[in-house]
Amino acid sequence: MRCAEIHPNLAAFVVGGMEPEEAAEVQRHLASCPDCRRELEELRKVNRALEAAPPPADPPSHLKDEILSQVRAEQRYPSTEEELSAAEERASSTSTRSKNLRIVLSSAAAAAIVVIFTLAVFFGFLREEPPVATIQLVPTPQEAAGLEGYWGVAEIRPQPSGNQQVELKLNNFEEPRPNSYYELWFVSGERRISAGSFTSVGEGETRVLLNAPPEARNYQTLLITEEHIDDHPTFGEEVALKGEVP
Amino acid sequence: MMSQRADELSDEQLMSRLGGPGVETAISALYDRYSRTVFGVGLKILGDRSSAEELVQDVFLKVWRSASTFDPSRGSFSTWLYRVTRSCALDLYRKRAHKVHPVPEGESYLATARDSSAGPQEVVDESWLSWRVSRALEVLDAPHREVIELAYFRGLSQREVSERTGLPLGTVKSRTASAFKKLRGELAIQDTSREALR
Repeated sequence: MRCAEIHPNLAAFVVGGMEPEEAAEVQRHLASCPDCRRELEELRKVNRALEAAPPPADPPSHLKDEILSQVRAEQRYPSTEEELSAAEERASSTSTRSKNLRIVLSSAAAAAIVVIFTLAVFFGFLREEPPVATIQLVPTPQEAAGLEGYWGVAEIRPQPSGNQQVELKLNNFEEPRPNSYYELWFVSGERRISAGSFTSVGEGETRVLLNAPPEARNYQTLLITEEHIDDHPTFGEEVALKGEVP
Repeated sequence: MMSQRADELSDEQLMSRLGGPGVETAISALYDRYSRTVFGVGLKILGDRSSAEELVQDVFLKVWRSASTFDPSRGSFSTWLYRVTRSCALDLYRKRAHKVHPVPEGESYLATARDSSAGPQEVVDESWLSWRVSRALEVLDAPHREVIELAYFRGLSQREVSERTGLPLGTVKSRTASAFKKLRGELAIQDTSREALR
């Protein structure tokens, strides 16, 4: 065979997927053709590189939305000391509205989550050591029946902007009811700040990345409530999980 | 507001827009171009989907937050993004080193993605070649990429690729040859930017 006939087959030869008789023919030609041997060596370099290629896989489609949401949230909240003071002012001025949003744990039904922890201590620690801290989520007594063990964790990471990133990892956390969703709140007394809304996948792991503004570090409680679409954007009153710092 | 469509802009032009009103469009376009590579290299380094997903988030948020540190005169965006990815992956690798990540059923190819004998730094450093090859594959058009992926990641012979795709065997061979030629060119081009890693 001539070089012009061999060349188009050399890549297939390198890949190793030729029929035996074809491969034998290529080998016979290579034995007597230094030009094709040089070409073969070049193709083998590509072959070695391809063996290092990562497996072809697409990231899940929700990732892009989560990243854009985070960008949006961090853009929305201020990061300088001056802006923080102004934001604190704005938060205070909304407290009148939040007086009507008192949470009554004793009357709660089982459909939302509550996580309580001492944010002052927690964020103080995080400020010294930026990486990750993890909080176990524990169901309230009325939800504990029928559940076994671990429900999930909340990880909090302070961001360079001052925002507080909250990553929730919930195991087998049931989906919200129709026309409902979950919402994360930072709460201090009668004040609260929303850190965003989300849904869950039910069986398996639900992983959600949310964001709270810097002033949330002064709030002592973190709540996740079930909210109804079209209702006023207020607290849900139904509580399922409760966690406290030991 | 952008006067050009985001997909017509270069990586460097998109980066320059991260500080302005077009930030979401710019991030979105960069994500579309690079998320497969970041995710794939994440799978290779970290060995499981959950960690690779976390890596994708960390990387693109860092791109946005650290956009001002990107200097196009010092190297391409791809090379800079690789460095960001490597740094984030190393952090995640160390953070999760004590955890066990089972390989999901049906994704057995991931089980061999990481050589457990290598240390974290070594594993991450090896990822530069993976990054380059992944970027080169992304440059291929879909028909050429398909024959390469079927051969390398599904282990199919040329005849089996022909049967799977319905293409004549001669077409499979010529596409493989053409894909190799393009990859050779891409890998040579990318190699020239390696010094920017140091």
